Amino acid sequence: MARSLEDAAQWAIQHAKRQGKPEVTGDDLLLGCLVAISRFGVARVGAFDIDLAEFGVDWRQRIATPAGSVAYSNEVVRLLDEAAAIAQVDGGGKPEIVHMLACYSAEQAGLMGEIRKRYGVESAGWRAALSSLRQAEPTVQVSPGRIESGRPFFSPEEAAEYLGIHIQTIRGYLRSGKLKAFRIAGERAIRIRREDIDHLLEPFRED
Amino acid sequence: MPVFVVERELPGITPEMLTSAGLRAKTCCAELTAEGEEVRWIRSFFLPETARTHCYFEAAEAGLVERANVRANIPFVRISQAVEMTPEGI
Repeated sequence: MARSLEDAAQWAIQHAKRQGKPEVTGDDLLLGCLVAISRFGVARVGAFDIDLAEFGVDWRQRIATPAGSVAYSNEVVRLLDEAAAIAQVDGGGKPEIVHMLACYSAEQAGLMGEIRKRYGVESAGWRAALSSLRQAEPTVQVSPGRIESGRPFFSPEEAAEYLGIHIQTIRGYLRSGKLKAFRIAGERAIRIRREDIDHLLEPFRED
Repeated sequence: MPVFVVERELPGITPEMLTSAGLRAKTCCAELTAEGEEVRWIRSFFLPETARTHCYFEAAEAGLVERANVRANIPFVRISQAVEMTPEGI
């Protein structure tokens, strides 16, 4: 299941609590991002297979929400601001894990410093590896009907998942009028009719 | 549950910094709620001309809203209870 930057941040908060720290640090957030993209304790970032067990993550255990209270550090505020700015440059959507990881490409100290040493990571190589990570993120196969039958409306995010395309493509369709959207009265939420989405598809013909 | 408005003055804030603040608010509210202290960020309005925001939260008391915003590291000027009015209610 593809995880979001929110999932990574949530993990970072809980990790900081487990450590008994008063603040969530940049290292916690980096680890949260790597955990979010990992499988069986290995975060694959391009050619780099980062073993999270080396950094104290026990991937075999499901850990309960720890007690305590932590706040985001100024360092994390700066990093999240930067991730949002990178997301704007990278297509204008909401910040994702890949944008957050890109922020660490220039970091030399802390956990990123350790990863650099152990895995031979350089800044440009890290960013290139993130590009391949983006392409490898799981997408939904194009198969109308994957979303449970009977649902007449989708949010823009659900429409993108349904068609297996990027959310920015859906937003472009909405802006150009290629796809029509409706707003729930009195609310900001947008809904797209399933039949309008299905009408975007046309039979494929070999030229 | 009562609604509270968090007033902020954020000179120089950019859209990206607002996005970052929103993510921090969401995750801190989720964490407090997981701890058994329910608090929810409803929505915010940013006033570009004055660089002020009004952020609406739902919680049992103002202290919870304050805790969420402190954890999220988002500065604020004031937290006050709000009385909601909608055209449908009048």
